[in-house]
Amino acid sequence: MRGITKRFGRLVALDGVDLDLREGEILGLLGDNGSGKSTLVKTLVGVHRPDAGTVTIRGEQVEIGSPKQAREYGISTVYQDLALVNEQTVAANMFLARAPMKRLFGLLPVVDWDRMNEEAERILKERMNLDIDPTARVEFLSGGERQSIAIARALVTDPDILILDEPTSALSPDSAKRVEELVQTLREEEGISVVIISHNMDEVFNLTDRITVLDNGNLVGTVDTDTVDRRDIVEMMVGGTMPG
Amino acid sequence: MVSITENVATRFGDSRTEMLVTVLENMVWPILVVTFLAFGLLIPIELFYSLDNIQFIIFSSAGLGILVLAESLCLLSGNFDLSVGAVAGFTAVFSGLFIYQWFPGVPGVVGVLIALALGAFIGFMNGFSISVLGVNPFLQTLTFYIIFGEGTVILTQLSISGLPESYLYLGGGSLFGFKVGVLLLLTLFAIAGFVLKYTRIGLAIYAVGGDEQAAKEAGYNTTRTIILVYVASGVLSALAGVVYAGYIGTVTPTLANGQLFPAFAAAVVGGISLFGGRGNILGALAGVLLLSTIQSGLVLVNVPSSWVATINGVILLAAVLLYTAEARLRQRLLSA
Repeated sequence: MRGITKRFGRLVALDGVDLDLREGEILGLLGDNGSGKSTLVKTLVGVHRPDAGTVTIRGEQVEIGSPKQAREYGISTVYQDLALVNEQTVAANMFLARAPMKRLFGLLPVVDWDRMNEEAERILKERMNLDIDPTARVEFLSGGERQSIAIARALVTDPDILILDEPTSALSPDSAKRVEELVQTLREEEGISVVIISHNMDEVFNLTDRITVLDNGNLVGTVDTDTVDRRDIVEMMVGGTMPG
Repeated sequence: MVSITENVATRFGDSRTEMLVTVLENMVWPILVVTFLAFGLLIPIELFYSLDNIQFIIFSSAGLGILVLAESLCLLSGNFDLSVGAVAGFTAVFSGLFIYQWFPGVPGVVGVLIALALGAFIGFMNGFSISVLGVNPFLQTLTFYIIFGEGTVILTQLSISGLPESYLYLGGGSLFGFKVGVLLLLTLFAIAGFVLKYTRIGLAIYAVGGDEQAAKEAGYNTTRTIILVYVASGVLSALAGVVYAGYIGTVTPTLANGQLFPAFAAAVVGGISLFGGRGNILGALAGVLLLSTIQSGLVLVNVPSSWVATINGVILLAAVLLYTAEARLRQRLLSA
């Protein structure tokens, strides 16, 4: 993303922000409330249209007008509120609005529940090593499992880029640890690039390769995680200046 | 490879919770069976348990049953429709006048189609207003309840009799020895059950009712889904009006009056959530049968018909209390 600017009326939410994501890396996106993290991500996935700036994926400049279009470009998002429908099954949630269909008597298009359950189980078991019944309703699951189902849903479209908005903020330390391990597995085994928006410094330092910090709608900078410490990052977030 | 199976095993392996929740959600069926058996003790067995009486129980509730279906679809989508009874009455009176008074000689089936088209149009206006203009469903359907409820009386204050057989067939006719109303009711519920389980729009209705924002983010067209639900509600309400007319053999200005609350009661007692996204449409059918069994049984034990409305109110109260208790119990079980 280059020079992304987004205004809401007179408020400049993003002012010429750049964001680079390398293939197979985990990038932390940090900043205080109101720094523009969410707006930047929403602009990337087509919820907002930028007033200026460009998005380039593998050298090709693209215009992303909706979350659906973002998925077509290989970008999946897991929002902080997870956006799961509690009353529906695990499989139905994973394939929400994308249920596999078959033809009844060669004519009538109907939902292929068998295939949906099988596919869901395969993704959960083989790609995430989760033993969750795809026919169980989501409301029966724990917080960590629900987070995992939201990530599993993002995997249905085989994304190249996965965006996780505060993935562990509502989880117990144990569940958070498991979700962190899951993210690492996805990067290592599938080469998925991940952007993590987080307030949790432990998580950011455990997981990420690089960290991008925003402040008040401006890019402060991007640093390699192993070259900085927490104090440097706090300085970037609060002072809006690069370390050293 | 990461493994989070142990957490799953402890929490998810608790199938007892799942089973209890499932029982709670389907409790209308045992209630129906017990009610049916209880009336059998009060009424001569050969009379209450006869096939004729069972068919009559369903036949007499065909109109209400179709209204319950309309209401259930709205409830499942996270909305509701206060205008179902008023739309049933208005469309029946309008179509009755059309074929009897305004264009006499027009075939009855045209009257049925006019009723359905008018129902679809009213439903579309409800849906458009709610999903596009953002009007609160309560206020929107309340105004239509008033407009079309009163509109019926403006159209006529007299009953319309002498309607063609083809107009009255759906509510009063017979086919292969069965009442058409019974076959129609069961067919409509079967179709609705199929659509809700096996089609994209069915899944969309549940998703929109469960969490509209999540459904939208996933890619469902929530506006179109809600409009479709209200169009279906309007068409079904109009069909219910035609069935009521066929059942009593005439169109009266008070047709389907007072049927709104029994429709809610049947849906709620059948396990359809007032908050959307939860419930089985066959449960709503059981709710209809329960209400109808109670009414039929009360008539057979000589309870005055003037009591029926009050008893309906008591059933609605019982349904709401039952629903609240069930929702609390479910919450407690899930957070245990």
